[in-house]
Amino acid sequence: MNPLDVALRTRGVVVCVGPGGVGKTTLAAALALQGGALGRRSLVCTIDPARRLASALGLSELGNVARPIPEASLRGAGIRLPAPVEAMMLDMKQSWDELIARTASEEQRERILANRFYQSLSTALAGSQEYIALEKLWELHSARPGDLVVLDTPPTAHALDFLDAPARILEFLETDAARWLLTPALRGAQVGLRLFGLGGNLIGRTLSRIVGMQTLSDLSAFLLAMSGLNASFRERASSVRALLASETTTFVLVTSPAPERRDEAVRFHAALRAQGLDVAAVVVNQVHPSLAPEDVASCRRLPEPLRTKMELTLQEAQALAAADESGVESMAQAVSPTPLLTVPRFPEQVHDLGALWRAGAHLVAAAPGGV
Amino acid sequence: MTRLLGKRLLVVTGKGGVGKSTVSAALALELARSGRRTLLCEVNGGGRAAALLGHPPAGPELGHLEGELWSVDVRPAEAMREYVLQKIRFERVYRAVFENPLVRSFLRFIPSLPETVMLGKIVWHLRQREGGRPVWDAVVMDAPATGHALSFLGVPEVLLQTLPPGTMAEEVTWMHQHLVDPDITGAAVVSLPEELPIVETLELGTGLRALHLALDAVVLNQATRPRFVPGDLAALAGAPRLRALAASHVEEAGRTQSAADRLSSLDVPVIELPRLYQAGMDRAGVEILGRALLSGLAGGT
Repeated sequence: MNPLDVALRTRGVVVCVGPGGVGKTTLAAALALQGGALGRRSLVCTIDPARRLASALGLSELGNVARPIPEASLRGAGIRLPAPVEAMMLDMKQSWDELIARTASEEQRERILANRFYQSLSTALAGSQEYIALEKLWELHSARPGDLVVLDTPPTAHALDFLDAPARILEFLETDAARWLLTPALRGAQVGLRLFGLGGNLIGRTLSRIVGMQTLSDLSAFLLAMSGLNASFRERASSVRALLASETTTFVLVTSPAPERRDEAVRFHAALRAQGLDVAAVVVNQVHPSLAPEDVASCRRLPEPLRTKMELTLQEAQALAAADESGVESMAQAVSPTPLLTVPRFPEQVHDLGALWRAGAHLVAAAPGGV
Repeated sequence: MTRLLGKRLLVVTGKGGVGKSTVSAALALELARSGRRTLLCEVNGGGRAAALLGHPPAGPELGHLEGELWSVDVRPAEAMREYVLQKIRFERVYRAVFENPLVRSFLRFIPSLPETVMLGKIVWHLRQREGGRPVWDAVVMDAPATGHALSFLGVPEVLLQTLPPGTMAEEVTWMHQHLVDPDITGAAVVSLPEELPIVETLELGTGLRALHLALDAVVLNQATRPRFVPGDLAALAGAPRLRALAASHVEEAGRTQSAADRLSSLDVPVIELPRLYQAGMDRAGVEILGRALLSGLAGGT
C-alpha cells in the first residue's frame, strides 16, 4: 500500500518538511488535491508559494484566509474532485498580530503591537516563522475536525529549528531574566535601569554602552507588555506539541537528490524520529530518470554532427541519473524503515493545476523504494 | 568588463540554493591566484565555502587555506565578543556581562545586533592595516540569501535613522560609508535559469540599489548553451526518447537565453557559468566555474 495514500485517507494533519528549494510547497498542494480526490475536505496552508503556483491555487496577494481552489481552474485542468479543496497562504506578520489580538487584553495589545521588539519577534526572530506556522496549524486543525490539513513549512536547514520553535519562544518568555523582570515588585519606572541590577551596575552600564539605554528600556517595556501572555502561550505550545505527536499527524519529508539537500534531509529525518514523531514517507523530488540501453544504440545510428551532439547529451543525462540513483539508494538505507518515494523531474516546471495533479497522482500511486 | 574584480569588498548573494557559496569560493580562489591577499568571509554559513575548495570547513577564527587565500566563518557570538572586547577591552568585564545567561537571553532579542556585529567585523577587516598597507586586498563576502541579505546589508542604513548618537552610531556610520562607496564595495547576485531565482534576482538587484550598494554583475549559474538546431528535432522523429532528451536540452538552452534576457534589465553584465553534470560540487567543479567567472568578469566570453 502506498504510504501517502494511506496517510491522506487516515490522517488529519500532514506536515511537509524539508530543506528549501526542493518543491515542498508544490508537493504540499499536490497532496491536498489528492486528499480531495479521495473524498476528504482538504486544506493546504502554503508558505510563500511561487506566484504562478499561487494564482493556480486561486490565492490573491492577501492570504491568511482559506479560499476554495476556483472551480473554473479545476475544470480547466480537467480535474473533478468529490470533496472541496481549499488553499491559503500564511502571512507571518498577520498571524502574529492575530495571536496577540486573541491572547492579550486591549490595552496590552496596543503596547505590544507598537513596540519595536514585537516587530522583530514577529518577523525576524529565529524560530518565529516556524512557531507561527505550527500555531496556525493548530488553529486550522481545531476549526476543521475530520478534515485534512496539509501544512507547507518554512525552509529549514535544521530540523531542530522547526521542532524547537515553540520551546524557544516559550524559553524567551520564561527565562529567569524575564521572570525576574516581570515580578510585580519591579514594575516601576526604573525597570529598564534595574533590569540588570543582579550583577551590580556593571552589567547595566556595560550593556547600555554597547546597545544604548533606549534599547534596554524598550526591551523591558516589551517584556512587561507581554507578561500575562505566558500562560496562554505555554498552553498553546503544549497543545501544538501534543498535536504533532498524536496519531492525527504525520510528517512527509521532502528533499531533492542533490547531495547537500540529501544530507540535510537525513539529519532532519533522524531528528523527527528521535522526537517520536511519525514520518509517513520521505519524498525525493526532481529525480533525473535513468536512460534505457537502447537509447545509446539508437544514438549510434544517427548521422553526424547530430550523433556527437546526441551522445554528449546522453552522457550528461546519464551522469545526472547515475548520481541521483546512487544518492537515492544511500538515502533509502539511511531513512529505513521509513518508506522512500521518488518523483521524476518533470520537464516543465510544476506550476499549473494539471501538472500539480499529475505530480500528486504519481506520488500516491508510486511503489516505495525505486527510482 | 565589470568593476567587480577591482573592488575590495565583493558581496556575493542570491536566492538560497543557487550556488552562492560556490561562486564566492570560485571568486576568492581566482582573486588569490592573481596575487591579491584575499579573505573569504562566510556569514554564519558553517564554513561551507572553504570546504568546497577541498579544505576543512572554516571556523570562527581566521584560517589560512592556500597561497594568498584565507577564510573565516563570521558567527554572531564570536563577532559579538570581538566587538565588545574592542570596546571595553576587559575580558573580565566581558565575561561578567555577556556570559551572564540573563544577559544572553536579552541580547538575542535586540533587533539587528547580531547582524551589526557580523557586518561590522567584515568591514573592519577592510580597515585592518599592517606596515602601512591594508592587510587584505580583497574580502569576498558569501552573504545570506535574498530576504536576509537585504536586511543584513541594510542594517547600517536602518540603524543610522534610528540610533541615538553614541558608540554604536559611530560604528555604523563608518560601516555604511564603506558599503555604499562604489570604489570599495561591489555586489554580484547569483541566479539560476528558473522562474523563482530570476524573480528574486531582479528584486534583490533593485533592493541592493535602494541600499545604495553598487551592483556590478549578475552570475547566471547552471547555464545551458544551445546545442541543437531546429532541424535536429525533426531528424530525431524516429527515436522518440532521444527526441525528448534533445527537446529538453533545447528547452533548457531556451530557459537560459530568456533568463539572460530578463536579467539584463538590471543593466549589468550577466555572466553565464556552465551547468556541470556531476553529483554535487567539488574542487574541480569550483575551478571550472572560477575560470568561467574570471573570463566573464574580465569581459571575455
